Amino acid sequence: MNEPLGLQQQMSAAVSLRGISKLFDDVTAVDNVDLDIADGEFFALLGPSGCGKTTTLRMIAGLELPSAGSLQIFGEEVGSLPPNKRPVNTVFQNYALFPHMSVADNVAFGLRMRKVPKSEISTRVQEAISLVRMTGMEGRRPNQLSGGQQQRVALARALVNRPKVLLLDEPLAALDLKLRQEMQFELKQLQREVGITFVFVTHDQEEALALSDRIGVMNDGRLLQVGTPEEMYDAPVDRFVADFIGRSNFLKGVLESSDVVCLSNGQRINVPVVATVAVGDDVQVSLRPERVMICQLDAAPSGVAKLSGVVDTETFLGNSVVYRVALDWMTIEVETDHRPDVARHAVGEQVDVWWRDDAVAVVKP
Amino acid sequence: MSETITRRLPAWALRTNGAVVLIFLYAPIILLVVFSFSASRIPGQWGGFTSEWYATLFDDSRLQRTISVSVKVALVSTLLATVLGTMSALALERFKFRGRKVFDALLYLPIIIPDVTMAVMMLMFFSQAFDLLDSVFGIGLSKGFATIVVSHVAFNIAFVSVVVRARIAGMDATLEQAASDLYATRWQAFRFVTLPLIAPGVLGGALLAITLSLDDVVVTQFVAGPGSTTLPVYVFSLIRKGVTPTINAVSVIMLVASLILVAGSVGLQRANASRGRQQLRTPGGTS
Repeated sequence: MNEPLGLQQQMSAAVSLRGISKLFDDVTAVDNVDLDIADGEFFALLGPSGCGKTTTLRMIAGLELPSAGSLQIFGEEVGSLPPNKRPVNTVFQNYALFPHMSVADNVAFGLRMRKVPKSEISTRVQEAISLVRMTGMEGRRPNQLSGGQQQRVALARALVNRPKVLLLDEPLAALDLKLRQEMQFELKQLQREVGITFVFVTHDQEEALALSDRIGVMNDGRLLQVGTPEEMYDAPVDRFVADFIGRSNFLKGVLESSDVVCLSNGQRINVPVVATVAVGDDVQVSLRPERVMICQLDAAPSGVAKLSGVVDTETFLGNSVVYRVALDWMTIEVETDHRPDVARHAVGEQVDVWWRDDAVAVVKP
Repeated sequence: MSETITRRLPAWALRTNGAVVLIFLYAPIILLVVFSFSASRIPGQWGGFTSEWYATLFDDSRLQRTISVSVKVALVSTLLATVLGTMSALALERFKFRGRKVFDALLYLPIIIPDVTMAVMMLMFFSQAFDLLDSVFGIGLSKGFATIVVSHVAFNIAFVSVVVRARIAGMDATLEQAASDLYATRWQAFRFVTLPLIAPGVLGGALLAITLSLDDVVVTQFVAGPGSTTLPVYVFSLIRKGVTPTINAVSVIMLVASLILVAGSVGLQRANASRGRQQLRTPGGTS
């Protein structure tokens, strides 16, 4: 029964990218990306600026045409269609509201272009405006609105068309921190209400973790890993992903067998089995600071991986304390809770750091 | 005492300078208007008040014909130059194409080239083109209304496109992308989003074009044919025949027409500027 399931998955994909590449002159902005986004999913494309995430989004919107590859929306090949022929709508980073039109005219624009009957336009515009809680502002011009209100109008202008997929390009980047957190919450609620597939681009890893059902991390035009926020945090497959989402220590080594890594100091540790690296490969072991324990010398429980070192620095952060422990071959960062029952360690103290086997992830260097 | 003088002197000098400049600019205009009502047959001599020159002017059928040619040339050439100039401005600002830089440089040539050079160029072009058409297709064409219009369009495209480009450069290109994302075809995006936003630039360019067309003597004189002379060319020919006070009257009428156009253009700019200021003044949020 594996085959029909695969077929079904393909059928239900809202957006499907196969071998999509984009070249600007000689620069490869997007490099051979394969990606399936499911119907109704809240999907985040995450990466640093210039990684190709916005170009990927613009290719789905039709604002850029792919140099190679196939792009399907609900099974229909759209790779070469102009943006006005695609069942998607976009919320632009700067909102791109038409400054010479009122809020209502902005929202009605897409329906008018598609020659929807007038009576239907007015009811749908009212619905969309009340959906984003902007009722009473219909007559205002965009320049009479605050940033958050402009954001809502941009959302209404896109959602009123009932697109199959809503694309959002850094939708919250232009807002200040407090408003951004509010809008995050609203965006998530809105997506649940309308049930439309949302694809959004962000460089903010916290935003991606908080909002999305799944995340795809991009760097240098390549899609490195796709997974749920938990998967991305707990089991990154690439050093870049582990470093970009959260903080991590990286221990160099070689994969000796499927679940053993020989670290560069010669010590062998057990690791979870991963399919992305082969036995004999150079790998790095990603170790989150909060998953490493610190204790007095030789006080670590038996049967765990441990390393000995000296506390180099100690930083108090309120809810936690961060130690940098100098080993003779590298430095490891350890984050402990700040609680009365957790012992503190002084700078210069001899300590052991240890972790359970499932606390680490093997990543490509 | 000397201290107050050194302090007052610059202020006095500035005020005098201002007055001299104003006299320098406006005295000829005032003289022109005054002498257009002088009864003396010698243009620079006061011979009592009369409106005779205006009367002869309105009886002069030749003059009326040149005015009508001038207006028609100005309207047709402005319309064509505005459409073509706006199109080239859009092409240069919004699209990348082979030879874009060359086109850009060539487009500005008519602004830099001296009028006389432009005039000779156009004359050469028309005579060669007419010869060719005559020998190949047997179509006999001659200079006249059409050649004046084509020449005026040729130099006005450059001016219109400069003015319109400035406006397009200040407009966010993502607005057009947003329109096409909202199912607008390229034409609809232009019609409903781009054009309304660049309209002040297009209108400004059109006013500039109409003024330049009404003003032009040099180019028109070279490419005009018998029976189709514009007003400025006619005035120029009157001077060569010997100056009569009719010229004063004609000049006053042209002056008034120019003033109306300039006032219209300034009024339009003011309306735009105040709307722009209003937009700036309203709190625009955090973005």
